[in-house]
Order: sequence, then structure tokens, then C-alpha cells
Amino acid sequence: MGSDDVDVELLGSLPGVGGEIARALVPTRRSGPDGTLPQRRVMVTDLEQDAERFAAYSRVCGFTLRDEVPPTWLHVLTFPLQVHLMASPDFPLGLAGLVHVSNEMRLRRPVAIGERLTLSSSAADLRAHRSGTQLDLLGEARVGDEIVWTGRSAYLARGRKPTGAEVPDDVQNPYEKAGESGKTPTKIGEVPSALWRLSGGLGREYAGVSGDVNPIHLSPLTAKAFGFPRTIAHGMWVHARALAALEGRLPSAYEVSVEFRKPVLLPSTVGFSSVRDGDDLAFRVTTKDGGKVHLAGTVA
Amino acid sequence: MAQARNAVIVGGNRIPFGKAGGAYASASNQDMLTAALDGLIARFGLSGQRVGEVAAGAVLKHSRDFNLTRETVLGSALDPTTPAYDLQQACGTGLEAVIQVANKIQLGQIDSAIAGGVDSASDAPIAVGEGLRRALLKANHAKSASQRIQAFASIRPGDLAPETPRNSEPRTGLSMGEHQARTAKEWEITREAQDELAAASHHNMARAWDEGFFDDLVTPYRKLSRDQGLRPDTSVEKLAKLSPVFGKGEGATMTAGNSTPLSDGAALVLVSSEEWAAEHNLPALARFVDAEVAAVDYVTGDEGLLMAPAYAVPRLLARQGLSLQDFDFYEIHEAFASTVLSTLQAWESEEFCTERLGLDAPLGAIDRSRLNVNGSSLAAGHPFAATGGRIVASLAKMLSEKGSGSRGLISICAAGGQGVVAILEAV
Repeated sequence: MGSDDVDVELLGSLPGVGGEIARALVPTRRSGPDGTLPQRRVMVTDLEQDAERFAAYSRVCGFTLRDEVPPTWLHVLTFPLQVHLMASPDFPLGLAGLVHVSNEMRLRRPVAIGERLTLSSSAADLRAHRSGTQLDLLGEARVGDEIVWTGRSAYLARGRKPTGAEVPDDVQNPYEKAGESGKTPTKIGEVPSALWRLSGGLGREYAGVSGDVNPIHLSPLTAKAFGFPRTIAHGMWVHARALAALEGRLPSAYEVSVEFRKPVLLPSTVGFSSVRDGDDLAFRVTTKDGGKVHLAGTVA
Repeated sequence: MAQARNAVIVGGNRIPFGKAGGAYASASNQDMLTAALDGLIARFGLSGQRVGEVAAGAVLKHSRDFNLTRETVLGSALDPTTPAYDLQQACGTGLEAVIQVANKIQLGQIDSAIAGGVDSASDAPIAVGEGLRRALLKANHAKSASQRIQAFASIRPGDLAPETPRNSEPRTGLSMGEHQARTAKEWEITREAQDELAAASHHNMARAWDEGFFDDLVTPYRKLSRDQGLRPDTSVEKLAKLSPVFGKGEGATMTAGNSTPLSDGAALVLVSSEEWAAEHNLPALARFVDAEVAAVDYVTGDEGLLMAPAYAVPRLLARQGLSLQDFDFYEIHEAFASTVLSTLQAWESEEFCTERLGLDAPLGAIDRSRLNVNGSSLAAGHPFAATGGRIVASLAKMLSEKGSGSRGLISICAAGGQGVVAILEAV
């Protein structure tokens, strides 16, 4: 993003995620892994952040309510734009089959809840992956002309790869990576330094504050319909909760990257640990015995 | 500003500590603090007098008790013009209150004060669930009937479940026992060593009661005249039969016998200038020498939750130009037997003292016959904010009996990774 010659689809306000999901369920002939990504950028301008919803978001994710917003909140604000793009009839892959596998964000400077934002999202880099096709949803938040936040969410569609494409050696399926080793050989302490007890209703609570009403997060029944044994926690909640746990150790501007390795089933108790590596932080959310990793991340 | 002068411990008073759900199950924090205060007033003839101030606190506190100590003063025999305030530093509350008033006395801001704390694990506050609480607040702030109905309509059945206070650290979700189990494992504290310390605590305290040591330190309350959790007939053999309750697997060593039980009780100390004590024909048992508070980063697991005293003591010793061996008595609060043992082991560890404390050499071992000689929290029980007052009053009396110039060290670990330590010296 950043080049100003791409098409812009300007929306009057942030779309509702539920409506977009419904739109995506309308049967459409999609071009699949061999298709092309829409080249346009979806945008809303001069958006006023909802202070009340932010307070509720902070409470659900464990953040102290501050005037500066965490980068995960800016992701939540751009998420409807991502979904709008993915639900569009010209998007090559079906929304229901896309799994959020990793996420990177850069907070360039502290962003205050009172600042008006111009948010945009675009899709990029449709590519082969060992177990399917991967692509990125790019996000950007500006205050005036200043870029204050950027995000990159990688999604994976399992199954067919783009015809003729070679899978780069360094691309691995993060789920398999966790599954193969079972245990993680990272340097972070073997035993979690904190335990989080997550309620069965957490998915509904987070859906309420984030707008992400994907049925796999809402109830065991709807989760089963999509092939999960129980309700699963939103990956971006797990991410946000981890950042909240690092509160006080985070610099005022930073880059944070996470891999979503293994879904967190609800209700459950999970472990958290972190370690400082020079100026950087590494952290992970694991099973409560520390044996398997749900989410692994770094702050730099 | 006035020149610094001595603050002295005149004496103390507590009620016997009860077991949670035991003798004081029907008594509130204010009830118990009033009992301890009225006993102290009677003991030192303070009825109708105005004291410089009363400082006390409770760890588990009802929202209605926002002015607990002042309310207690108003219901006591003290002159109602005696000012009071609450403070709270988890299990360090009682000692921190003593430090606070001693500092004011040394500065000449006040001449006399009463300091300590109270806690009830029986009468703990139970709050309505978050959902219900927010709905009720919204309804309360509503400006119209329809807004109010809307607020009530948002209540879900799950919101009606009450919330009880958790004995766990908010940032780690681990209970204090689970935290200490990790520390005990790290320092390889054995089950036998913990049980021996626990048995010694009960035996020492039972002997002290039998010898009448507590006769002028305790006022009976609600048919209780001795600490309810005290087990004079316990033994290492009996303690060895208990199953571990904290930690997991074969390495688990912490049982209900070598961990302090949840308790109810209150303890207060009378502190004054030497002149004030003399004017009132009251003894000056011990001089308050100095104090230090340390905190550790337990959240990341970098240090054990209850290890802060291991850092506070060396800082205090350095400031006073003393060595760890320069004491006649050591009062190390027995949150768990393993807390005492890991702290002592840390001071003996070359690695810990050089790498963590930045010292040239280990602080070394202490003479264990001087440790908690009249028992400590494992035997007495541990009503969180009351422990500091219990220890200060007992130690001041022991020092006074030992003779002029004898010295005692107090070490109390607290939730939040904090440690409050102090030195007293016989006048």
C-alpha cells in the first residue's frame, strides 16, 4: 500500500461484520487460487473512535483503560474493511475457508482514543503454501497524512495451490510446526509464569466488543457446525490479552508479530510466559503445563 | 522541622487469632479491631485520651469499611478527636503502619500513635458479578425509566453468580501457595525441613503461652483466650502424614501443616516518643531503628513472589552498617515454612548474593536458635494485616527482656512481590 494510484472504494462508515459474513455466504463463482486479488483499497475517512466500545474492549482483553489505544484495537477497527474485501464477489477465495495464521502490526507512535482516523485495507501477495494458498490483508491507519499504524494479517486457504507455483522452502504450516514437535524448544521458561482462566462465554464477550461474530467463536453448537469440538477463542483476543500481560514493558512505538499455532478451546485454562531478549520481548500462550503452544509472538 | 528523635515501642495488644470460620466467624473487621484497640487502651490507661494518630488497615476489606480505622476509633474508648487513617500493603500492612507512625514520631509531627491491622477470612466481602454490577450502576445512572428498564434487561442469568475474593495474584492467576511452591522447588527446600520448622513454630508458641509470655500482649475475645490454630501436640511425624496441597507431582512439599491457615484477628502496637512514654509512666521496650521495603518482578517469573525480603534486608543492613549476624532475634514471618527457608538459603547462597544482590560475599547463615523463638504465623495463624502488629509487639517485649542494646530483625513478605523489613533495638 502507500501508492496513491490504486483504486479506492470509499465507504461512508465501517461495515458490519455480520452482514459481510452473510454476504460472503451467498453462492458466488470464485476464481480460486489461480485468480487475482482485487487491486482496490477499501477505506473509511475521518472515523471517530468509539470511546465506550474501547472501554469495553479494554476490559474484555485485560488492558488498563488508557487514552492511548493498543495496536490490536486498530486491527479491530480495520477488520470490517478486511472482511468487506474478502466477502466481495471478485475476491478469489471463499471467506469461510480462510484461517488467520499470523499477524504483524507496527505502531509507529502512540495513538489516542480522541484521534480521528483514516483506515484502509487491501489484499496482497496471493501465493502458494505447503498446504494451500496464502495471502495477506494489509491495513493502515492514518491521522491526517501521517501513517500511525500498519498491519499485515496472513490468511491460509487449505487445499489447492496456485497452478504451477512453487512452495518456497521457508514457508511452513504453522499449525503443523506446532503439531510435529508437540513441545516447543524455545528459551522461554518451561513453566508458564501466569495462568488465565477463560470462560465459555469469552467468545461472545469478545464478539460484542470487536464485532467479529464468526460463529466458531459464539457457541459450542455453531463451532461444531464448522468442525471444531468446542467454541474457540478469537485469535486476536489471545493476541490482545498477551499484549495486555506485557503492559508496562512495551515501548511507545513497536512492531509486534504473532503466529496462531493452535486454537484455544473454551472454556479452558492457558499459560502465558515471556522473556526479554535485549530490547525485544518474546512471548507465548501455551497449554497450562506449557507443553503446547497456542500463540507465539515477539515485540521489537 | 524538628530534629529526628527516637520512636519507641511501648507495648502492644492483639486478640487471639481465630481459624477462618471459627471463633470470630460472626465478627467483622471493625469488631475485631475495636476489641484489640479497647484492650490496648485499657492496658495502657489511654481511655478518654487523644493519641497522635491511629493507623491500621485490612487486606480483605468491604467497600463500606472505607474509613475502617477512624470508625473503629469513634467506637472505642479513645478521645473521639483522635485522628485515624487506613493503609494497606497486603501482608506488610501492619508493619508498614508501624513504620509510618514511627517516622512521624521521629520527625516530631506526633508524639504518640497506635498502629497495626486486622483481617477476617471468615467475613470476607462477596461482590455481585461484573455483569450485574455494571447493569446496576447503569440503572443507577439512568435518567429515564426506559433507560433503567434497558439496563435491567441487559442482566443475564450468569451475571447473578457472586464473586468471592480470590487468593491469587491478579497478574499471574497463581495463588500465593502455587507461587511459593515454585520458589521452594527452585531452592530445593525439602519436605522434612519445612515440617521441622512448622513443628518448632507450634512448640515454641505453645511454650510461650504456657510461660505467660502473651499475658500482657493479648486480650481474650469471643471466648477465645489462645490462638485457635495452635497445635502444641503436633510433631514432625504427624505433619509428615499430610498430603501436599501446593505444587504438583513428586516434588510437591507444601502441605496444610507447613503453610499458614486462613485466619481472623487484629493486632495493634503503641508507639511514642521517649518523652511521651516517660510522661505517661509507660515503658519504652524497644527503639524503632530503621526499615526498608523491597519489591521483585515476579510477574515474568524472574523472581519468586515472596522473595522480596531477601532483597530488603541486605539494603537495610548496608544502611545501618550491620551484618546479618548482628541480631539477638530474627522474626521471619512464616507465610509458608518454605518461605522462611528459601529466604535463609538465599542469604547463604554465593550465587544469589553476588548476582542478584550485587554483594561481594554471601550474607551467611543465622543462628537458628534465635529464629521465631516464640513461634510465628504457622502456629499463631496469619490474619494478613494483623501479622505486623503481632510481631512488632512480641519482638519489642523479647528485646526488652533480653536487655539494653539487644537487637531484632523483622522480615515480612507480602502479595504483589513486596517485602517489608525493620530493625528494633532494646532501649
